[in-house]
Amino acid sequence: MRYLCIITGFNTLEMNQVLFLKEMKRHAVSLVIWMTVITILISVTMSVYQPFMENQSKVLGMLSLIPKGALQFKGISNISDLSSPLGFYAINNVIYMMVLGSIFAIVTSSGILLKEEYNKTAEYLLTRPVTRGEVFLTKLAVMSLNVLLINVVTSLAGFISLEIVKKTGFSIGSFLILSLYTFLLNYFFGAAGLLLSTVVRRPKPITTSSIGLVLIFYFIYTVSKITESVSKLGYLSPFRYVDLNVVNAGYKADPLNIAFFLVLSSLMVGASYRIYLRKDIYT
Amino acid sequence: MRTPVIDITDLSKSYGKISAIEHIDLAIEEGEIFGFIGPNGAGKSTTIRILMNLIFPSGGNARILGMDVIRKTREIKRRTGYIPSDANAYSSMDVNEFLNYCASFYGIRNGEGRIRELCGLFELDSKRRIGDLSLGNKKKVSIVQGLIHNPELLIMDEPTIGLDPLMQSVFFDQLRSENRKGLTIFFSSHVLSEIQMFCRRVAIIRDGKIIQVEEIDSLRKKQLKKVFIEFTEPVKAAELKFTGIQDPNEGPGNTLSFMFSGDLNQLTAFLAGKKIINIMIEEPSLDEIFMHYYRI
Repeated sequence: MRYLCIITGFNTLEMNQVLFLKEMKRHAVSLVIWMTVITILISVTMSVYQPFMENQSKVLGMLSLIPKGALQFKGISNISDLSSPLGFYAINNVIYMMVLGSIFAIVTSSGILLKEEYNKTAEYLLTRPVTRGEVFLTKLAVMSLNVLLINVVTSLAGFISLEIVKKTGFSIGSFLILSLYTFLLNYFFGAAGLLLSTVVRRPKPITTSSIGLVLIFYFIYTVSKITESVSKLGYLSPFRYVDLNVVNAGYKADPLNIAFFLVLSSLMVGASYRIYLRKDIYT
Repeated sequence: MRTPVIDITDLSKSYGKISAIEHIDLAIEEGEIFGFIGPNGAGKSTTIRILMNLIFPSGGNARILGMDVIRKTREIKRRTGYIPSDANAYSSMDVNEFLNYCASFYGIRNGEGRIRELCGLFELDSKRRIGDLSLGNKKKVSIVQGLIHNPELLIMDEPTIGLDPLMQSVFFDQLRSENRKGLTIFFSSHVLSEIQMFCRRVAIIRDGKIIQVEEIDSLRKKQLKKVFIEFTEPVKAAELKFTGIQDPNEGPGNTLSFMFSGDLNQLTAFLAGKKIINIMIEEPSLDEIFMHYYRI
């Protein structure tokens, strides 16, 4: 345990069970609503796949008339990718699972510490026999579990939808890698929300600015895809590090992209922890 | 010599160039009921928040029950109760759920007896949602959560705000009862009368500095009154020739006002020969006490 503390940089790895259960209960309704909404959106989108395949030539012909930039804004870099079930899934559901999932993660994490201060309940929580480290780790665990659960459930919904609508087979390995990318991206925004909440004082602007942050990064990513001259700008957006080319035969998890998410998320969580340990709590 | 329950040494807190508290020294002994009084913004809450490890000091140190408030915060809080000035608990919880939640941090799994006892004492409906309670009832919830684990030390920041006089009386009676069982109480307020009534010793804080620490009895001996008299005919301030008169002031319409800390019999003897329309004798504000006794 001591070595794990040294490796992670945390003073303690203890969590508070009472707080954990209360926080899970507090976030349960929001988690279920987000899960349901994303699952419905995925299912509805995937239900279009079969009619799409039946009229494939007509639809592809229509799509070929649309400017390439506009298609890329929707995430379609190659029209033929749409005929593969996994390609269709990746292109059409990216906005739901990646953008909405990231908004859920950042909204959950940015409020998880800050709301205790804003609602003046920190005076009750932090005057109990718990350390700041325990409170932080417990809330981090709640945020992580929420992000994991929403990813597991929505990915499962995606997998079931794919199984139902597929006309040809698809690579489960590629599906799992795409799901891993989605989770890492969502977690990245979860970590960013945690960091924001330790440096900002008011939760209302933070919720709006958190959502704005996800949308700005998504906008940067799409603009960089459409406009050649600003393509390098895309490296500033975490969306750039998610590989959506699932239909490529050689599709695999890029270690650099994975490292990008792991390192930056760890740094943000570590920085939030250090700040929170010494933060003056005002209510 | 026994270690003080609260031992504050050279404690300071500043925000940039602004000092919230400066070089505070304070020692509170076991079993004491200690008052901490000062006007709003004097530094009472800042001191208490440092003791509860909600904020960090800029200098000096504080120990509770012999332990450093930063390094041993968990052990300290296990043995300390805290009643904050704000009574905002989790509004979506009902009273019973919140109190059980608080109790479970201390490993009290079956706190129902104690919760029922305290809720009964403070006439709290434990089934009601906290968000639906009045300020007074929220304050009662705050009081109960501070006492739920039978602490050795109770730190209270303006605990009576929002409580009606009847409930204040119940509250102080309960605290006296707990104090007899060994509870040490550190009690901040800006109301002099409740400090005088309840505490044995008091520290007076102003502008972040401790001005005076003294026994309530000696403070009482310095009892200051604010006197306003309206006469039928002009009376000169110079006629007030007995001890205890401070800052006499001749006002419009044959009025005379002054601060008085002397023998009331001398005052009534003086007034016996005058024709009076109106007389008011009031407790001075804290600021007036500070101005007149401490000349700051």
